[in-house]
Amino acid sequence: MKTLAVTALSRSFGGVRAVDGVSFAVAPGEMLALIGPNGAGKSTCFNLLNGQLRPDTGTVHLGGRDITGLSPRRIARHGVGRTFQITATFASMTARENVQLALLAHHRQIWRFLRPAPQHHAREADALLAQVGMAEQADRAAAILAYGDLKRLELAIALAAAPRLLLMDEPTAGMAPAERTALMALTRDLANQRQMAVLFTEHDMDVVFGIADRILVLDRGRLVAEGTPETIRANPAVRAIYLGTGATTGGH
Amino acid sequence: MLDVQDLHTHYGRAHILQGISLQVAPGEVLVLLGRNGAGKSTTLKSLIGLVRPTAGRIRFGTEYITGHEPHAIARAGLGYVPEERRIFTDLTVMENLEVGRLPPRPGLPAWTPERLFALFPNLGEMRTRLGGRMSGGEQQMLAIARTLMGNPRLILLDEPSEGLAPIIVEQMAHAITAMKRQGVTILLAEQNLHFATNIADRAAAIERGRIVWTGTIPALHADPALRDTLFGA
Amino acid sequence: MLSTLLVQLLTGLSGASSLFLVSAGLTVIFGVTRVVNFSHGSLYMLGAYTGWSILSRLPREPLPFILGVLLTVAALALLGALLERLLLRRIYAAPELLQLLFTFGVVLVVQDATQAIWGPNDLPLPRGRWLRSFVEIGDARVPLYDLILIAIGPAVLAALWLLLTRTRWGTLIRAATQDREMVAALGVDQKRLFTSVFALGAGLAGLAGALSLPDGSANLQMDLSIITDAFVVVVVGGLGSVPGAFLASILIGVLQAFGIVVLPQATLVLVFVIMAAVLVVRPNGLLGRPQAIRENPASTTLIRPAEPALRWLGLAALILAAAAPLFVGPFLLSVLTEMAVAMLFAAALHFMMGPGGMASFGHAAWFGLGAYAAALAVKGLALPMTAGLLIAPLLAGTAAALFGWFVVRLSGVYLAMLTLAFAQIVWAVMFQAVDLTGGDNGILGVWPAQWATDRLVFYWLTLALCTAATLVLRTILYAPFGYALRGARDSELRAAAIGLDATRLRHAAFTIAGAAAGLAGSLAAFSKGSVFPGFIAISRSVDALLMVLLGGVQSMAGPIVGAIAYTGLFDLLLLATDQWRAVLGLSIIVLVLAFPQGIAGTAHRLWLRGKEA
Repeated sequence: MKTLAVTALSRSFGGVRAVDGVSFAVAPGEMLALIGPNGAGKSTCFNLLNGQLRPDTGTVHLGGRDITGLSPRRIARHGVGRTFQITATFASMTARENVQLALLAHHRQIWRFLRPAPQHHAREADALLAQVGMAEQADRAAAILAYGDLKRLELAIALAAAPRLLLMDEPTAGMAPAERTALMALTRDLANQRQMAVLFTEHDMDVVFGIADRILVLDRGRLVAEGTPETIRANPAVRAIYLGTGATTGGH
Repeated sequence: MLDVQDLHTHYGRAHILQGISLQVAPGEVLVLLGRNGAGKSTTLKSLIGLVRPTAGRIRFGTEYITGHEPHAIARAGLGYVPEERRIFTDLTVMENLEVGRLPPRPGLPAWTPERLFALFPNLGEMRTRLGGRMSGGEQQMLAIARTLMGNPRLILLDEPSEGLAPIIVEQMAHAITAMKRQGVTILLAEQNLHFATNIADRAAAIERGRIVWTGTIPALHADPALRDTLFGA
Repeated sequence: MLSTLLVQLLTGLSGASSLFLVSAGLTVIFGVTRVVNFSHGSLYMLGAYTGWSILSRLPREPLPFILGVLLTVAALALLGALLERLLLRRIYAAPELLQLLFTFGVVLVVQDATQAIWGPNDLPLPRGRWLRSFVEIGDARVPLYDLILIAIGPAVLAALWLLLTRTRWGTLIRAATQDREMVAALGVDQKRLFTSVFALGAGLAGLAGALSLPDGSANLQMDLSIITDAFVVVVVGGLGSVPGAFLASILIGVLQAFGIVVLPQATLVLVFVIMAAVLVVRPNGLLGRPQAIRENPASTTLIRPAEPALRWLGLAALILAAAAPLFVGPFLLSVLTEMAVAMLFAAALHFMMGPGGMASFGHAAWFGLGAYAAALAVKGLALPMTAGLLIAPLLAGTAAALFGWFVVRLSGVYLAMLTLAFAQIVWAVMFQAVDLTGGDNGILGVWPAQWATDRLVFYWLTLALCTAATLVLRTILYAPFGYALRGARDSELRAAAIGLDATRLRHAAFTIAGAAAGLAGSLAAFSKGSVFPGFIAISRSVDALLMVLLGGVQSMAGPIVGAIAYTGLFDLLLLATDQWRAVLGLSIIVLVLAFPQGIAGTAHRLWLRGKEA
């Protein structure tokens, strides 16, 4: 069964159709990239999936279960992990505590008032940090971590809830090229190991064409192309609206 | 035109810039290359005065501008386009341009909205649109146009290609090349090597707050080992 | 009937006009400088006094009146510019609440200065005949001056609107409202821009002050009475929105005018009920926009349990405090009792303010409710003291849970203002329910139980209860609940993404903080032997804020240090001088300038620096 199935999703703002009848699906372990020009509706589409926005029409199913229009919190509870374009972590805590809090939330142990939080799930947290290559940074404050490390920490936090689907909004924005490939290769491994579906938006064509199994192209709210990296790269319509000649971006 | 000597900048106790020295000649495009966190943005912010350098000297033309207020530096002819664009979203395109307007400089033709619309045709079609209602690419163009309204002699561009669709990045490259032809000197911070080498004359590589290499673009292309240390794993 | 309605409506509109003049200045200043300027009320008061000094020397004719008012406006604009250049300019980078506190310091200083210059008595303005004349509308007689005031509001709105949208200065102001750093990077001298905005706002406050004279007098209460109403207007209209302030002024002015006729006792409450209702429906006010999220400096500081050295220090202080009564006199003993109560009160506020990220401007509400609950339990129901001490936190916590349901749906300044509103409602209820609470006379004879009447025993009881409750708060903060609460403050986005319910967490924290403050209030009641509405006054809430902010919100030790320092300072002041307002105000100003991170925050940084070197 598909992990995520989206059917005829639409959302308008003041008469403008930001997302217009979009349907697609993501399989377990699959990495699906969502690309398109600025203002094509990628962010809106993302926010419809993660609960930030409610769709006007259409449905979203996660593992066969209807999650259309639920709040971000409920959607998270159903097994959707997220990373953000601008990293969002708990800055007043260490890396380990960040993951511990995510584990506490996952195990529904938030409403406890006595034993200090750092004494819960420490080993599990360290194991997750090790998986993303952050073992040595466990005791450092999130506020002083380097940008690339924050991205990894976000991954570890998301993994704490053992998600079935991971939504990554421009995961490599603001990173150096080598870091970008490393982060996405790591995500690729995790997706394979855990049979976790990954849906991500991205502007770096090296990342998109190098990592994604399949690519969706949005333009003006509509799905204009869908396919493997090779077919998308060769698609003249996609070149015209999005890729251009590739001279300045390496997407050739 | 711009001469930076041994610039140091701290954020709190973190020593971000550890002695940046670089020169920009009139009419050239110099690109500052480096990883995230290497100090590119901080260098530009220190030059425009948004971050106060803790040591070093910045000469712009004949004037020392180290430690001056941002508005004084901008008035001296240094323009700044931030990475996050920072468009005034509640203001129209024309009002955004008005905020950037400064008196013309002798010897340079003054930038007018009309001249800018020739450079960025999209903007001319949306003069009364609010900044907040524009796409990322349009906002980036408006951010550059707004800074040009101050008739800068040198403009600092912080990652103008970040987060833009490839086809918009191409348009941006054309616009920057056109700006250069019209006499604007440019200091560019970039991570996108393809984009940078397309428009720049020279490159300076920055690592952990220091300039570790300077040279021409052909020299950069001829040195794969260097590109590896800059961007490789 | 129709004519009474009309007269009432016109009275409301004229009141709305002067409210708008004050609020417009406040909202424009906030928009650009992001400073919630408590001292705006002082400028209004100074406008009235300055206006009185000028107008009472001029002939009582229309033309000299206009001239005098304009002179007052100019004088206040100048004063506002001066205030900005000398003081406020220095705190633009400080955290929001420290700014608020700073401007409150200015309020205190201006109060004493005004009294020193103009004396303690109200100064009514002798009115010329034209100011006393009426206009016949149908069969109603409407004061001419009311009609003039009604016209001035829209005229000022139109002028401001033209200024903001049709001039370069206005465009720069609107740009700076959004991103002042970017405006500076584009070559605009923002210091001059800020000074000019302040001058404009102060001039408007001066205008309102001078125009208030024919209907009243210049007096020492006008600063605080107008500022709460003006805050309400600005918040209801939406922070930074001039048209919003205009709408809100009319809404509140008119409803107040009719409220006086229908329900005279409820007018105090009415204003705040309107605000609560508007904010629940529109969390950013009528015409406001979502506020840009300001980096919360507290949320980037790593929170650690105190280091061993600090713990030993705390234990030593506790032992010293417990042993103190053996070698201090009765006066110092009462100061120590007060310190213990203050410690718990401040710790309760810190609980929601620091880790909870909710700055309350009305924490005295729960303190006062606890005090009244204990007093009524002992005096009204004749229950023992222990029952009073138990009922107090329960009742305060329940009330906090009820009000909290509204409060936790907002954030930032809006949240602070809503808590202020609730505190004012509680205050008004206690003030007006004379049969139950004795109103202004309070409840007297609230003494501890027989076994605790000895001051020494009562002190130990207070110290034990306050220390225990503070430690309980601390334990909760380091438990999973506290971490989740802090997580929701650090990043709401991330909190939702891992499935945390931020609203529920905050609601629980608000309730706990209310209960703890209630316990502190009940101990204060037994210690003083009486309860007054003053227990709920704004100044009491400010006390708590001062303690927390002086100490620094980053650590649990902050509020404790702050409470002890503040109580000590305050009691010394009361002893040493009758100009305590000026001295306290100056102390606040100096402290904020010297320690923008709070005393404990600064000490902590010095400590760290020392350790690294």
